Amino acid sequence: MEASKKLMSVRRDWRERDVRVVLVAIIIAVATVATIALFASQLQRTLVASATTFLAADRQLEAENGRPIPDAWMEEARSRGLETGRMVEFSTMVFGGEGFQLVSVKAVSNEYPLRGEIEVQTSAEAPRETVTSGPGPGEVWVNPRLLRLLELNIGDTLEVGKAKLDITRLLIREPDGGFRLSALAPRVMMHVDDVASTEVIQEGSRVEYIYLFAGETSALNEYYAWLQPQLEPSHEWEGVRDSETFSDSLERAERFLLLGGSLAVLLAAVAVAVASRQYAISQRDTVALLKTLGLPGHGISRLYLRRLALWGVVGIAGGLLVALPLFWLLVQTLSDLLGRPVDIHLDPNALAPALMTALVSLFAFAYPPVRRLRNVPAMRVLRSQPGETGREALPDIAIAVIAIFGLVWLYAREWSMVIALLGGLLLLLAALALVGWVMMAVLRRVRGGGNAWRLALVGLYRHRRASLAQMAVFAMTLMLAATLILVRSSLLDDWQAQLPDDAPNHFLINIAPEAVDDVESYWQSEGAPLDAVYPMVRGRLTELNGEPVKEAVTKDARVGALNRELNLTWMADLPDDNRIVEGEWFVDGQTQGVSVESELADQLGLQVGDRLTFTIGAQKVTEPVTSIRTVQWDSMKPNFYMAFPPGGGLADMPATWITSFYLDAGNKSALNEFSRQFPTVSVLEIDHIIERIQQIVGQVTSAIEAILALILAAAFVVMAAVVSATLRDRQREGALLRTLGGRQSLLVRSTMLEFALLGFFAGLIGALAAESAVYVLQSTLFEGTFRWHWQVIIPIPLVSALLLALFGRWQLGPVLSVSPMLLLRRLE
Amino acid sequence: MNQMTDFSKTDTSPMLRVSDLTHRVRMETDTLTILQGVSLEINRGESVAIVGRSGSGKTTLLGLLAGLDTPSEGTVELDGARISDLSEDERAKLRASRVGFVFQSFQLLPAMTALENVMLPLELAGFEAPEKRARELLKRVGLGERLHHTPRQLSGGEQQRVAIARAFASDPVILFADEPTGNLDNRTGQAVSDLLMDLNREQGTTLVMVTHDERLAARCGRQLHIEAGVLTEPEATQELAH
Repeated sequence: MEASKKLMSVRRDWRERDVRVVLVAIIIAVATVATIALFASQLQRTLVASATTFLAADRQLEAENGRPIPDAWMEEARSRGLETGRMVEFSTMVFGGEGFQLVSVKAVSNEYPLRGEIEVQTSAEAPRETVTSGPGPGEVWVNPRLLRLLELNIGDTLEVGKAKLDITRLLIREPDGGFRLSALAPRVMMHVDDVASTEVIQEGSRVEYIYLFAGETSALNEYYAWLQPQLEPSHEWEGVRDSETFSDSLERAERFLLLGGSLAVLLAAVAVAVASRQYAISQRDTVALLKTLGLPGHGISRLYLRRLALWGVVGIAGGLLVALPLFWLLVQTLSDLLGRPVDIHLDPNALAPALMTALVSLFAFAYPPVRRLRNVPAMRVLRSQPGETGREALPDIAIAVIAIFGLVWLYAREWSMVIALLGGLLLLLAALALVGWVMMAVLRRVRGGGNAWRLALVGLYRHRRASLAQMAVFAMTLMLAATLILVRSSLLDDWQAQLPDDAPNHFLINIAPEAVDDVESYWQSEGAPLDAVYPMVRGRLTELNGEPVKEAVTKDARVGALNRELNLTWMADLPDDNRIVEGEWFVDGQTQGVSVESELADQLGLQVGDRLTFTIGAQKVTEPVTSIRTVQWDSMKPNFYMAFPPGGGLADMPATWITSFYLDAGNKSALNEFSRQFPTVSVLEIDHIIERIQQIVGQVTSAIEAILALILAAAFVVMAAVVSATLRDRQREGALLRTLGGRQSLLVRSTMLEFALLGFFAGLIGALAAESAVYVLQSTLFEGTFRWHWQVIIPIPLVSALLLALFGRWQLGPVLSVSPMLLLRRLE
Repeated sequence: MNQMTDFSKTDTSPMLRVSDLTHRVRMETDTLTILQGVSLEINRGESVAIVGRSGSGKTTLLGLLAGLDTPSEGTVELDGARISDLSEDERAKLRASRVGFVFQSFQLLPAMTALENVMLPLELAGFEAPEKRARELLKRVGLGERLHHTPRQLSGGEQQRVAIARAFASDPVILFADEPTGNLDNRTGQAVSDLLMDLNREQGTTLVMVTHDERLAARCGRQLHIEAGVLTEPEATQELAH
């Protein structure tokens, strides 16, 4: 091989420690970003897939006007390669055995469900099993409670209108058993072809036609673009992201993954920058020699550029080689967690950020210090020349900062994330400058001596430039890691707080006013006390400031709430999890006014003082908006768009009462006795929905933890790279100190102290900068409330001091075990 | 550029002509004059030792003579080329084709084998069959069996012999040596200086050497003394030179 070609050999480069660090940093960068991007894409797919089962499809079209949609619409969907299915939902009385019961019927086509599974039992004692299609014609599957109410058994006949259907299965869980108030009564599932023979649906019957669609997202979106202009206000197109209960969790999980990815990018960039600077320093002698031997400046530039390109290729290939098995492992974990196989989906788009990271790392972080190598004077071969003052590196820092935030933006597409991280880093640099100044001022006065403390302080002063640089990198790494830990825990806390183990999992609806007390005492005695009990009046919002609401609101604001009856209530006290954002809550004795949920108010453009007219039955009620409040839709408690004061606009309206409560799974049988005692009260069991949400939260949590582990590993490598950059100098000093008669214990103590001080300040600055970044992130992206995290601010500096002290001790290893003479010669 | 190619070893014009060379270095507070009004001529094939104490300015002078640096004032003409008129890249090209170096600290690339270290300048100067020439030279310096050893696997004397082979590899017209035996013990130093002088004679190269080793200096045809940046030449060697 030609010698000058050998200047370009990766194998030869690999023999140099600094090149190894640069290459490992790039490999880690590519691997981390690729793994996160691949996994995030996979997770999103899996989560959406599992969330779409809530719709039993990818999209639903609901016709709430009691009329089926034109056949042509479904034809169009099929011609676009979409899978379709349909359902009809209505309430009716069924007869069986000796009695009758109001039920909620869901009649489904053969294709139902397009997504998810139905859980059934062949008898009350049989194990639960999952099936992927509904009952066939002539069959009916029923909720176990209905059998108890009617004293029927599997195999008996149930009369639905005029049709006589065989009860063949117990219906335990349907994939789209969402939280719908129309589904108050026990569920009966039948085949859609039998609906006509029931003769239940007449002109004007209250019935919902629901159409299911599944397929590629692009095909769904194109279909919706085609469909949208033809939809009427009573048509509602629903995707998983519209479903209030889950979209929040999904969105925040997604953001967290993006944040994790961004931090990985930052860490990688730091590692590459540190290592390549170190590399450039180590290359000065070589460059001087090559120049002396006659290689011109542009030859030097070309040599190193080609070398960087080569590293890029190796780094990308190596990174992907690491990322793929890691990704596979994460998918296996996900699959174990879900208890079902997950289709591995290698999203080629997810690799783009990894490639981008590698290229930007190389050219924005590795190249600038290397670029300046061509300025190394040839004279250096004869005499060491003054090194860089650091001023030359200023434009590099500017390039690096722009590149970092360009990358983060490219990756997360969230300005607030960029601003939070940039702000945190600026704060960190300011704090560092202050610490640096204080260090110079204080440490200058310290004189050396035989004392470990003094030696440590003198050491810090002597290495002040390196110490500050290391502190900056440690602090930055700690800040990024701490930001992630803080956001993660507050995210998980939020979810836990929203869905505690005893979150209400049953609703009681349709409680007659005179039965409220009895119902309360029944559940009190069963050990499952009720949450607040609210009156509920159903009505439509019809006028806004005297104008029909559909005219008053712009056409764009196609608000579902306007198309259906709203649940109105009255209450004296603001529920704990509601918050007033505008206006005032009702005062005692106030009978005027209505409080509106904030999102609806936004959509309708409502403000305090606007007059709303509701049509309730045949009556009209007009009230001014007195407050606007936020509502926790995912709290699993009764929530209302509109709240009136007690004795206010709803005072004379016929109301039923609604409540929610937590019932332990073991106490389910209490529901049977309750249904017998209070036959008119409807029980809505939502325990399985809660279970589902908790499953999703669990999935996201484990993904977050996996990614956190990856990032912390990356952070550790950055730290190791930085510390080992000064390894030789420190070892030489240690050897000299021993040669000059320093005791081993003194050396150990002073080194550990020096590193501990470094670690403590870096940790403190990093933790404070993380807090400020979290403050911005919390208040913008994650919609949480900010509080100080003493449990993080205090331990981080201590742990980082301890870790660095141990690291310093470990570095000293060779200094202590080998004779100083041998070591000095080896370090020559 | 043309002026660089017009000359050859048979030319009778001086190899090195220095007039009124002054070099100053700006320090934090004031300016330090390292060389003061140095003038000299070195003929083709001459061997010249520049002797002086540490800090006398001899290494700076060597760097300026070899075109590694440019002077504050005065001119250096190397093989007919005025160094101060050349750009850095042109100086590099001049070095690649006409100048060889031997350093006190050997300056071998640690990741390359002995053979590769010697091949490197040959390739940079565009020689044909660089490996053949490198093998011959390494054999000549007695390292024919150590071609594939890296500097780390060689002793100090062996490393300097590789450096000497490298210095002569591209057939330079002038060789600059900076304390070539400074890092070696007496016996090894003696062997290395023998080799250097022998090769210099064989190749008819002009040799300019900086040293504080009087014995090594005595083996050169001319000795120049430098003290506090001022160059002086004992009369005896002056006569020899002219």
